[in-house]
Order: sequence, then C-alpha cells, then structure tokens
Amino acid sequence: MSAPNEDTMSSQLSSHFFGDLLDSIIVDVASECHRIARLGLDRNLEEEEEELRLSAQARVRVADPSNSGEANSKYVVDIFGQSHPAIASEIFECMNCGRSIMAGRFAPHLEKCMGKGRKARLKATRSSTAAQNRYSRGSPVSSYSPYSNSTSTSRLSNGTPGVGGEEYSNGTLEEP
Amino acid sequence: MSMFLKIYKKQFSCYQMRPSVNRPPTPDARLDREKEPSVLEIINIKLIESGEKERLMELLRERLIECGWKDEMKALCRAFVKKKGRNNVTVDDLVHVIMPKGRASIPDSVKAELLQRIRTFLVSAAV
Repeated sequence: MSAPNEDTMSSQLSSHFFGDLLDSIIVDVASECHRIARLGLDRNLEEEEEELRLSAQARVRVADPSNSGEANSKYVVDIFGQSHPAIASEIFECMNCGRSIMAGRFAPHLEKCMGKGRKARLKATRSSTAAQNRYSRGSPVSSYSPYSNSTSTSRLSNGTPGVGGEEYSNGTLEEP
Repeated sequence: MSMFLKIYKKQFSCYQMRPSVNRPPTPDARLDREKEPSVLEIINIKLIESGEKERLMELLRERLIECGWKDEMKALCRAFVKKKGRNNVTVDDLVHVIMPKGRASIPDSVKAELLQRIRTFLVSAAV
C-alpha cells in the first residue's frame, strides 16, 4: 500500500500536467478561431443579418395584396430574373400530322389531331365505315384493311356512334 | 505579458539553457541557474521526448471534440468576434474569453481518463 503522500504528490503532478495539456488546447482553439475571424472564413457572421433583412423584405412583398393574381403573370419575374408570357410561343412540328404548331396551342391541337375530340372521332370513324362498306359489298375482305388502324384507335373511346364499324375489321362478311 | 505568450513559454521552459552563452550572467541569475531542474521539468522532458505528451494531447483533443466542448468554445469565440468586430480581435482576447469557461466545462469522464493515463505514465517514468 503506497504512502498517502505519494498519492497526493502523484495526483498533484497529474493535475498539473493535465492543466498544461488543456492550456495548450485552449490556445490552439483560440488561435484557430482568430484565424477564421481575421480571414473572414466564417460566412455566417454577417450573412445571417443579410439573410434576415432579405427575408423580411420578401415577406413584405408577399403580404402585399396588390402583387398577387394571374393578371400580373406577364410581368412577374422568376428566381432567375426571367419573365415569361402567359402562353408559350415557341413553334415546332407536330409529330402526328406534320404541321407547324405553337407550343401553347399544342394540347388542343393534339386533341383534334389524334382523335380524342368529338369532331376528330367522327371524321376518323366515318371514313373507316365508308371504307368497310365499300370492301364488304364486293368480296371477302381481309382483316388487314388500311383503315383498321383508325378503328382500333376509336375502339379506345367509349360510347361512340361509330361502334358498328368495328365489327367489320375482323374480316367477317356481314350485310349491313 | 500576454496569456498566450505565458503559456507558450511555459511549454518550452524545460529546455532553458544552463549556463547561457548569449547573456552575461548577473550574480543572482547565475546562482538560480545552477539549481537542479525541478521534478516538474524532468517529467515534462520525459513526457515530450517519449512522445507521450503528443499522444495525450491528441487523445484529449479527440475527446473534447466528441463531447462538443470545442464547438462550445468556438461559439463563444464567434459571439465575441461578432461583438467586437472581426478585425479588432487578438488571439489573447480569445484566450481570455475561453479560458475560464473552458477549464470549468471539461466533462468529468474526460478528465478522469486523462488523469489516469498521466498517472500511469508517471509510475512508469519514475521507475
């Protein structure tokens, strides 16, 4: 069993050296913070105040009722600083019919072009039934008539008046 | 003398030259300089030369980062810098800012671990 003096001596020495280590580390941390401060590497220091100011400004702008609404959409600027017209004006070629279409008018054009709308559907099936009638009166018709494509697309839509024409695409002879 | 310089010098005081070749000795200084190096100095030299001091420093640094002590100190510094202006701050200022809180807020487990390691070294070095 070691004498109590040794223990206190030893613990005093240990504390002393621990204090030494701690002092060195404190100086290191202080030196590091000093370097960061003087070189301006701590970006949050002044940025926070700038951000607070900008967010306050933005909040004011949003709360202001005169700025909201679709009426101003032509003059509202997006985050890249660009402003866009209400209707997209780029012109390109429709892949179905080959016409030059304006981008903002493309969806309604496709409706007509591909047969979703009322007029377009009637147009497609009317021509197909006419073709079917022409062929079926003459001779047995193969199922691969040139109009079978349009009847298959009209098969997709519901409740259409041209349903009668679809039965002919199977190639069966049937007098209307 | 600034606290920073004080600590800096203390680390290397064990290597104080005896006798000095640069400075003409004053009578009192000569007497002092012929004293034996103290126990503290001997142990300090042993710590440094064996590499144990460096290992202990790294261990302490790692533990202090893990427990968030370093982040707390950096936050204190940042607050002080913000208050005083970043170009008006000296290292000494920051040392004074951190020192009291830093010494007091060491977690007990970290302190115990380091003290244990130092004591082990003392036992092995004393033999």
